[in-house]
Parts: sequence; C-alpha cells; structure tokens
Amino acid sequence: MRRTRKRVPCSEGWVLFDWDRQLMDLFSDSLVIGLTQHAPLILAAMGFALIYRLSGLINVAYSETITLGAYIGMWINTTFDLNFYAILLPTGILSGLISVATYLAIFRPAKMRNVGVLEMIIISFGLSIFLRHGLQFVFGYPLRFYDVPLPDTIWVLGVGVSSFRLLALASVVALALLLYWFIQRSGFGLQIRALASDEDLAQVSGIRPLFVTVLIWFIAGAAGGLAGAFYGVGTAVAPLLGWRQFLFIFLVVMVGGVRNIGGVIIVGAVAGVALAAMTLQFGQALYAQLVLIVGFVLILKVRGRRLTEAAKV
Amino acid sequence: MNLDWLDAFLLFGTFQVVMVIGLALLLHLQLGLARIANFGVVGFWAIGAYAFGVLFTKVDWSIGEPWPFLISMLFGTVVAGLAGLLVGWLIADLEIEGVLVGTLGFATVVAILVTTERGLTGGALGMGGLSFPFDIGKTKANELLWFGILFVVVGAIFYYVWRVHRSPYGRLLIAVGDNEPLARSLGKPTFQTKLWLFAIGSAGMGLLGAINGVMVHLLIPEGIGINVTLAAIVGLVLGGTARVWGAVLGVILTVGFFDIVVQSYLPLPRSWYTQAIPVLREMVFGAALIIVLLVRPFGILGDMRRDKLIRSTHRD
Amino acid sequence: MIDVANAPTVTRPQIRIEGAVKSFAGRVVVDIDELVLGDSPIEGLIGPNGAGKTTLMRMIMHSAKLDRGKVTLRRGPEEDVEEVVLSDLPTHRMAGLGVVKSNQVIMDFEKLTIWDSLLLSLAAAKYEHPHRIFSEAPLFEAHAEEAREYLDFFSFADPTGFAQSAGEKKLLDIVRCLLLKPRFLLLDEPTAGLPDELTEKVMEAIRRLASEGTSVVIVEHDLNVIWSISDEVHFMAEGNIILRGPPQTIRENRTVVEKYLGEGHV
Repeated sequence: MRRTRKRVPCSEGWVLFDWDRQLMDLFSDSLVIGLTQHAPLILAAMGFALIYRLSGLINVAYSETITLGAYIGMWINTTFDLNFYAILLPTGILSGLISVATYLAIFRPAKMRNVGVLEMIIISFGLSIFLRHGLQFVFGYPLRFYDVPLPDTIWVLGVGVSSFRLLALASVVALALLLYWFIQRSGFGLQIRALASDEDLAQVSGIRPLFVTVLIWFIAGAAGGLAGAFYGVGTAVAPLLGWRQFLFIFLVVMVGGVRNIGGVIIVGAVAGVALAAMTLQFGQALYAQLVLIVGFVLILKVRGRRLTEAAKV
Repeated sequence: MNLDWLDAFLLFGTFQVVMVIGLALLLHLQLGLARIANFGVVGFWAIGAYAFGVLFTKVDWSIGEPWPFLISMLFGTVVAGLAGLLVGWLIADLEIEGVLVGTLGFATVVAILVTTERGLTGGALGMGGLSFPFDIGKTKANELLWFGILFVVVGAIFYYVWRVHRSPYGRLLIAVGDNEPLARSLGKPTFQTKLWLFAIGSAGMGLLGAINGVMVHLLIPEGIGINVTLAAIVGLVLGGTARVWGAVLGVILTVGFFDIVVQSYLPLPRSWYTQAIPVLREMVFGAALIIVLLVRPFGILGDMRRDKLIRSTHRD
Repeated sequence: MIDVANAPTVTRPQIRIEGAVKSFAGRVVVDIDELVLGDSPIEGLIGPNGAGKTTLMRMIMHSAKLDRGKVTLRRGPEEDVEEVVLSDLPTHRMAGLGVVKSNQVIMDFEKLTIWDSLLLSLAAAKYEHPHRIFSEAPLFEAHAEEAREYLDFFSFADPTGFAQSAGEKKLLDIVRCLLLKPRFLLLDEPTAGLPDELTEKVMEAIRRLASEGTSVVIVEHDLNVIWSISDEVHFMAEGNIILRGPPQTIRENRTVVEKYLGEGHV
C-alpha cells in the first residue's frame, strides 16, 4: 500500500499548520491502512486467546492453523472456482476441524499424561514445525495466490483502499463481534467461561468439559483459518504466513489480557494502527515491527513485575 | 598433509553436530536445570556471529594477526553476553508466557536488525570476509584445524556443565527451576541467578555463533532462522533435558543423523539434498519433539538422578 | 555465627508490626495496630481458622504485600539497636537477616535429595557463583558435620534419597529453616503431619535454638504443643491480636477461649 495523496508543500508561515495537517494525514492514513491490513490479526488473536484462556496452553501451532486456513481457502477458491466470500464458510469449518483434530490427537493425550506447562509449549512448537514444513514439502517454495478479480479502489478518509481489504475488515469486524457475543453473552459462552475458571466445579454443575473444549478448539481454529484466508487473499500464500504473524498475535493476547476478549480486540486494533503509522513514518515495515515488539515486551515486563509482587507464595 | 580421505561434507556435517551440541549443552543449563524456556537461542548465537563479523571486517585494524581476530571473538562473546543480561532482566521475573514471548521477540529483533542495518551487516546480501586466523595450506586443512578448535571449545563447555551438576551452583539452578518461591525463602537471589545464567549461556551461544560464522565465511539472514533453536531443542529433548549427556546423545541422533548419515552416507539423488532433505529434516525434528514428550518426557536418558550423583560424589 | 553464650549483651531480635493491613478481595484479613513479637524466647500464636495467622506470617516475610503499614526488624545490642524495615525488602533478603519461616503447606524440591536440600540451605552465596564449579568439596568440608548432626538427630531413613512421605517433607522443610541459623524463626504449624516422636524432637531443637538467643514464633493448632513450649501466647481473632499473656493466663481465660476453641481443647 502506498501513500496516495500529495503532501502540502512546506513554507515558512505555514509550518505549524502543515505539521498539524501532516499529523492528521498520518493519523487517518494509519487508521485506515492499519485496520484494513491488520484486521486478520485481531481475529487470529481472539482465537489464540480462547485456547489460552480455556486451557492455559500457549499453542505455538496456532500459527499453522492460520497458514492452513490460507491454503484451504486458496485450494477451494482455485479448485472449485468459487468466489472469495463463498469459500469463507467451508474454510472456517475445515480449519476448525483440523484444529479439533490436533487437540484430540496431541494436546488432549498430552494433558491426560500430565505433561508440564513447559513441555506442552515444546510439543506445540514441535507440531508447529512439523505442519509448517509439511506444507513446505507439499506445496514447495513458490508463493501461491488466490484467484480473485482485481479489486476496486475505494477512498476512505482520503486513503485508497482495495475494496477487498475493506470487505475483509468488515467481515473481521462482524466475525469478531459474533465471537465476542458468543463468548461473553451466550449460554455456551457461560459454560466456556465456567470451564476456564474451574474445571472440577464446572463438571459438577453439569457442563461437559470435552464437548465445550472441542467447541472452543473448533471456534479458535475457524477464527485462525479465516484470518489466514484474509491474510492470504491480501497478499500471497506461503508456508511461513502464519509463523510470521505468530509473535504479534502472541504479544497482542498477552498485552490485551487473557481475561477479556474486548482487551484483545482493542490491543489488536491499536497494534495494527501503530504498525501502519510507524511503517509510514519510518518508511520501513521492519522498524515498525521492531518498535512494536520492544514496546510490548516492555509493557509485559512492567506489568509482570506488579503481578508477581501480588502473587508471591 | 594428505586429507583426501576427508569428505568436505562429512567435515562440515560433523562441525555442525559439535556446534549444536555446544548450544544444546548451554540450553540444558537454562531449560533442563533452571526450567527457563529460552526459545531465542538463535538470537544470541546470531548476535555473537554478527558482532564478531562487524568488528573484524569493518574496523581498520592497525595491529597484526591474530589480535584483531581474537579481540573480535571476545567482542562477539561479550556482546552476546550483554544481550543475555538484557533479555534475562526482561524475563527473569515473568511467567513462562513472558519468557517465551521475550526470547522469541529477541530472536526476531536480531533478525530484523540484521536485515535493516545493511551498512553493518550487509543486509540480505550477507556479510563476507570472515576468514580463519591462520593459513596452514589447503582449505580442508584449515577447516580441520578450525574444527579442532571448535571441538576444544565445546569440550570445555561440556566440562563446565558437567562440573555445574557437581557444584553448589548447579544445585541452586535446580532449586530455582524446581520451586522458585521456596528457593527464595531460603535466601537465594533467584532473580540474579537467572540473570547471570542468561548472561553466561548467551555469551557461550554467541561464541559458538562467531566460530560457526568463521567456518561458513558468510553470514546471511536466512541462516539465523528458528531452525537453529529447533536443532538445539530437539537434541536436548530427545537425549534428556535434565541430563548432561542428553544434549550430546540427542544431537548426535538428530542433527548427526541428517547432517552426517543422510548427507554423506545415503545414496540419495543429488537434487534431494537441496530441496526435500532440509524440509524433511525439520518435519522429523518437529514430530520427534511431539513423540518424545508424549511417550518419554524425560528423553532417552531419563530424569536427573541426584540420589546417584550424591552417593557417588559424597561417598563416605 | 554469633556465639550467643558469650554475648550476653545481645538482646533478642524483635519484629514490630505497625498499622499493618491486608485484605483479599475486599475482605480485611489482618488489621493490626501495633504488635511486637520476640519479647519472649518462644511465643505461640493461636486463634480460630481464618483469624489471619498465616497471612500475618506471610506479611512479616513480605511474601504477602501489605496494603499499608510497616514491619520492622530490631536487632543488635541494647545500646545500638539496628532497625530494618522488612516490608521494603525482597523476600530473598529475609534469610540473610536471619528472619526465616517454615511453610504451612508442604513445600519441597522434588528433584533434590535430602542431602541436596541441606547443602542448599547451608551454602552461602560465595559457594554458589557460576564460576565456582569446584566449590562442592569446600562446602561439604565446612558444613557436612552440621548437616550430619541434624540427619542423625531426626533419623532420616535415607538422606541420599528423596524425601518420601508428607511427614518427611515437612520435617525437611523445618530442618532447612534450622540450618539457615535463624535469628528470628517463624513456624507455621510445624507439627502438622508429623508423628509424635518427631514432634518431640522438633520441639527439642526449637527450645535449644531459643535458648541460644533466637526468637521463635509458632502458629499451631495442637494446643498441647503451644501450652508446653511457649513462654507467651498471642490469641488472634478476626485479623487482630485480642489477647496476650503467659500460656496459663490464656488457657484460663475461659470466656474467650471457649468462644473460639471449645471446651475440648483446654
């Protein structure tokens, strides 16, 4: 995405105005670019947070759920010649099913064997590596693309955005709200939250842990898969697609707070806008990522210290 | 010296195995004893290599060899150690999530800086000009000598780790990993302990990175991916995270199998080695992590046996 | 270690708690205006469940952060009392000052043997630096005798192995504390889960420690232990010390005691 508007020429008397104007431009540019480009981040972070909150598991292999979603979407799109919006439903379902399969095949047995937290992370790391290179093995190195018509450019706040990304944002917002409603408001959500806070108690109150857990993995998988499809259609599909986003998803969830999905959404949006703003400012996406990583880790450090103070044994 | 018997691939593969053993041994102190999930091994390894390379190639040295080389090596080690101190400070009082995100983040930051700071690191083109501090004839002879030096360094790391198991410091590390609040209540400064553990481990990883850089002559951003971290972790986990010999055995069975046996002894079509084998290697490593931790969580050698150790060291 | 017998001018260390408040989720658990612990060699702290005894101990150790208030350690000879504000210190500094607490719930190092645990407790920081990879022998030489004394005294079954039973782990926890050479020792239900003969031995060790100048505070549900060992008893209820005095007085203060502890315990 390029800046499409000319800057106001700078002249002596107009410096202040100009500076304000530039700041406003930067703000609106980053808002639009950030939200449209990084909308999938919010969706993925919500899915990641769901699993983390329910089982305390940091699922590194979630990055491959995203990648798989991108590949599944592309495969449906190119094989059956379906338009992008028609593939969302099957992509979500298939990604959800794969996510459930990884739970049943690996994480559930691991939990039954009382594998430690650290070992659980290493297992998910192993799964992530396995899946990522499995995709590499099957699909090879070349980038792959969705077969979609060239998008129109729509002007929002003076920034040109592809219709496609705008629709992606709209879908992400809709899905995010749906997910939010599902977790925070619906009856199922209540069961999920009960299970997350106290498994034994939840079981006594008649909640079926296996069913609810499978449901969570399904929803999280679907969210991740769809995020992958949006990432994939926005750029290209490659085996590293999900892994490249993983650190940011992880950071957003950690900073946003596992306890509430709303925090994850807000921090996800802020991260997206901040990335866009810094990319525009530095002219270098990598610097933007650098600053975001350092900033978020520092936030965790400062907050972590406070938390441990209060929770020392 | 006639070195025709020595296959260049074999030498290079063995070099990699010994180097990864060194990394796994250092990781063993952090992951196996103190239970700190360092997923940023490659970051420390890379920062050591690049710090060495930058000082060695960019400075107009007025003193003769081998001083520039040695000073640069020391510089790489110290810079990696300082990075370890910084990362340690960031994560030492965080929960495991924080440790994971901090170390992964650090490795990513190093990868970003290597790519962006072209003036120093050569960016995506890579940084060349790293050469052996000696010249004893053929390339192979030089490489063999360099391998010998690596072997001595890793041997020293092994001896250090082996001694740590038999010293009060090792006992402290185990206590910190086992029950940190209890260790703290016994007056142990757990935060500082982790901090220094990170600094020392990272310095060692940085030194190994610099040594590896000299062997490969060219540092490129693709060379500092997660696969370096993975190699150390998979070896350690397979052999046994809590055992000194675990790192050695595990790395030989994993990296050794692919980089020596498959590379030099299996009659596979040439084209496989550039395309399929590296990818398959990572797939097998990933699967190995899952299977080992599900079936035999303490690895081949099993959990540490302090009772045996105590009986043998304090026989009376 | 200070030779207590030859240093009669050294007064017992005291811990002063001032205006200390701690609440969990809005409920005030401890609210103490002023309390000095350590006037007598061994002081008992009793009270009904939920009175805040364990929380108070954790506040002293600064393992539970105070909402407000101050905890001070006073030690040294009368003419030159040194005051240290404990509530400003990180937890690991406590042991260095001689303030040590045993744990109410079982806390153990699962990977360390009994010998390891004792040596860990005994090892000063100078032995534990990363570069001191040859310091096991000197450490063993300097302290093995001491460790052996305790191992024999409490007759551990296999000190080169791991603590097996809950009782053994509990005992090990106390021994670890004793080896730190505490100047002010807090014991949170030290005898819970211990067989009678070991309880006796623990008490004997504590008496000996107290006679050498260490101040001891015991929280205990087994009141027979309290009556027999304490020189003074604090009765705590609803987050505050409501009664203090010699065991006999507390024991006979039937109205308060009956109200909280019932006839059977007296």
